[in-house]
Amino acid sequence: MRLDSSRSLLVRLLMLAVLVLVPPMGFASFMALDRFEQGMNPELDRKAAAVGRDLVVQVERAVAYGIPLDKLVGVDEFFAQVLSGNPEIRYLGITGTDGGILFLRGALSGQLADHYRQQMAVPANVEGKTTRIGDFVDLALPLKGRSGLVGSVHVGFDQGYISSRLFSIFYDIAVVLGASLIVAFEILLFVVVFNVSGPMKLVAEVIDQGRKGDFTRLPGIRADDEVGHFARVFNATMRQVDNAYRGLMAYIDEVRTGHFDRSVAEKAGEIADRVKFLFRFDPSGTPRFLREKLSSDVRLPLFLFVFAEEISRSFMPLYAQSLPQRLAWLTPEVMIALPIAVFMTGIALGSLWGGAVTERLGSRRVFQIGLLPAVLGCLMSGLSQSVIELSLWRGITGLGYALVTVACQGYISKTSSDSRHVTGLGSYVGAVLSAALCGTVLGGVMADRIGFAPTFFVSAGLVVVSGILLGYLLEKAASAPDAAAAESVAPRGLSRIFLNWRFTVLVVFAAIPAKIALTGFFFFLVPLVLWDSGHQLPEIARIMVLYPLVMLVVSYFATRFADQWGWRVGQIAVGGVLGGVGILLAALFDGTLPLAAGVMLLGAAHGMSAAPQLALVPDICWVECHHFGRTQVLALLRTLERVGSVIGPVLAAVFWPMWGTEGAIVAIGSAVLGMAAVFALLAGRYGDGPHLESEEDAA
Amino acid sequence: MSWSLSRKVSVALIAILASTMLLTALFGYYKFEDEVSSLVRSRYSFVAFTIKKRVEDSLNLGFALRQLRQVQDAIELEKTRDEQIVGIEIYDSRGEILFNSDRGRIGASVPDEWLLPLAEPSGQPFALMDEDSHAVGLPLVNNLGKVEGAVVLVYPAGYVERELGGALWGLATRMAGIVAVFAVLTFVVAGVALGPVRRRLAAMETALATAVTNHAAGAAPDGAAPPSSDVAAEFDGHFGEFVAKAHEALEHIKLSTDEVERLDRLA
Repeated sequence: MRLDSSRSLLVRLLMLAVLVLVPPMGFASFMALDRFEQGMNPELDRKAAAVGRDLVVQVERAVAYGIPLDKLVGVDEFFAQVLSGNPEIRYLGITGTDGGILFLRGALSGQLADHYRQQMAVPANVEGKTTRIGDFVDLALPLKGRSGLVGSVHVGFDQGYISSRLFSIFYDIAVVLGASLIVAFEILLFVVVFNVSGPMKLVAEVIDQGRKGDFTRLPGIRADDEVGHFARVFNATMRQVDNAYRGLMAYIDEVRTGHFDRSVAEKAGEIADRVKFLFRFDPSGTPRFLREKLSSDVRLPLFLFVFAEEISRSFMPLYAQSLPQRLAWLTPEVMIALPIAVFMTGIALGSLWGGAVTERLGSRRVFQIGLLPAVLGCLMSGLSQSVIELSLWRGITGLGYALVTVACQGYISKTSSDSRHVTGLGSYVGAVLSAALCGTVLGGVMADRIGFAPTFFVSAGLVVVSGILLGYLLEKAASAPDAAAAESVAPRGLSRIFLNWRFTVLVVFAAIPAKIALTGFFFFLVPLVLWDSGHQLPEIARIMVLYPLVMLVVSYFATRFADQWGWRVGQIAVGGVLGGVGILLAALFDGTLPLAAGVMLLGAAHGMSAAPQLALVPDICWVECHHFGRTQVLALLRTLERVGSVIGPVLAAVFWPMWGTEGAIVAIGSAVLGMAAVFALLAGRYGDGPHLESEEDAA
Repeated sequence: MSWSLSRKVSVALIAILASTMLLTALFGYYKFEDEVSSLVRSRYSFVAFTIKKRVEDSLNLGFALRQLRQVQDAIELEKTRDEQIVGIEIYDSRGEILFNSDRGRIGASVPDEWLLPLAEPSGQPFALMDEDSHAVGLPLVNNLGKVEGAVVLVYPAGYVERELGGALWGLATRMAGIVAVFAVLTFVVAGVALGPVRRRLAAMETALATAVTNHAAGAAPDGAAPPSSDVAAEFDGHFGEFVAKAHEALEHIKLSTDEVERLDRLA
């Protein structure tokens, strides 16, 4: 186990987290479900008794008119009517005095006949008698005629009925537990990095210098735990060495300046030179503290922030649908799509503006500025009284979202050395994807239980928490301009990049369709289709979470594959086609399973193609990257693909009234597939001909 | 207060456990309450439906609603069958209560909002609620399709809390107990899991202190006790080199000081 690396310690603590979280949740869930079942059973008995009593009254009235029990007409139809109105009742039946079944609906005679014959040995009393028959709970009520007992009415329900009704609690528990484990991972990662591996990295740096004889720095660690104690001992040792050196130098200075024999002064000077040659001490008179900002500092606040924003992912169109729509010149479908489209527009504008603002004010200030619209947007989204209001606040939220994420990216770029830049961005992507997982799935459960508006308030609360945490963590971060962000200001002449047909093809036929699929199909149509097919919010969230889950897994392998084999163009093409096929699959077959498969395929498609898209840019735009900087070109790609994010939901909303939701899915899927096919065809020629017109200029 | 690493980790994990448990319990409770409420509502709707059928059968025979005296007995019987029922009443389309399980209310008027569902063309069941009670109602329709009035069954709100509150409180206590037990376990296991970190840090502290002490005791540079191989291997083996270098620096500075002192005295 290395102290300056978080991996081994984190694995250990994650095992601890699983041990601490899973068994108690298992025990508690088991106890709760058992208790809930016990609580519901009497209520089910009462319902059965109420139904049974009514049947007894009706049948006894007929018998009182002199109709023999076995000659009653229309009983089957009557039972069918009662059963359809009371789904918790499994079957209804009437037996004679010998226990023989005269009428039965909802179960097979063979399942009950033997039991009824035995049961008649003990006539049912007026209150009825409840017995268990196989998987059923049977309530028998006596039927009385003029001559006494003429038979029994039986009302039965499944023993597993309550369990089946409460089974969704299991899903919710699994969802909350899964999300808790991810949150635990993020918090433990933060604890480990902030308290152990981060400070020990500083110590390692000082040690690395010290072993070469450089004692100019001390690790600047302020903690009251074991690491802090070690740092104090370590610094005491360093100071002891430093003090010894200062004492020697003071003595030598005294000898050199005060001694009457010049040869002694010279020899003392030689000793000083020798010591200075062998060891380095800070010329300021005391060692300086080494403090280093880590890219992982922003991971937990970023996680919480994105978590908060993703909470509304699974129900945003449904929330918009539930609000009054006031603009007559827009179709209701476009109105429902409006909040998503405006949110994406806010992100696009915020991303453009965020770079310049970060350049001037620094990451910390921009993060704080971004929090304001984000909190306000979440809060007011919950209080919105119309779709227009909601769209406006979503736009403001999108602006805040963009500012915060740009600030975080800027901070990560600034704090990561070139060699660790990929790791830093990996940390960013990891935080965003795990937050998307937790936010999407918990948001659905939360909205189902407490409603849309309170869920937005929870979201606002989480944004505030992320702000407080970041304010604390970046307290010492300099508000100097961010070099990395400074690069993101659009330089003159970058528009010439469109003359590079390879870049234009990548944007138009790969990046934009991917975003159309994401926002038009996944963000907009999937929740609506699932809701219309009778799924509850937690179920919708559970299906939607498949996207980030699959994407997380596939992108992990796809990135390595792309690095190893360099088949980036192929991965983008295959990813595009896969996404289109996935969307079409969701519409061409009925049911939830194809839709879930479509969502998974889309996740796989985007996981496969997202990283190679970025990695391909320097290959196909090397001249532009050389002229304007890689960051500029990548930022342009990111901004342009937002066009797809904005038009995706609007396009789907336009198709919807024309061809219905399924037709809209087919249309979006066909468009995505068609554009992917064009990309695949054109990308096959990426290696042909001159690279681009500017290549000759460069030469 | 000093916060050790294991205490920080334990507190973080216990906070996560407690929040998870609370969140799960809340979500579970809401779901359970939903299910029980829907079951209760369904039962009372059924009871109201049986009364509706009986009344409509009589209406279809041509009787006027206020003439159906036997209905009063029927609703009183249903009320006595279930002590949870607050009241059952039948009112006409103008809102006058014609029959009520509480006979004193006969002749009074129902709240205006109880008349609104009767204006609906669908004649569907309706639910009404206020702070203290919930009500399920069904319109009474004659065979010509005219809404003559409605039957409404009132039952107390907070049914779940009252009926099952004690049991659920017991469940919550047991869950808190589980959290407490696992909290203690977390402290113990976190202490064990972070033991190696503590031991390594302590060993490194000892190695540093030894290097300084040996120097203070005047040991020769080659006489300094090197740190144990485990500790020396820390930081890619750089820690051992660092300790040796620090010791070497101290010794060298000491020798240099002695040398300067000797030069100073000799002169």
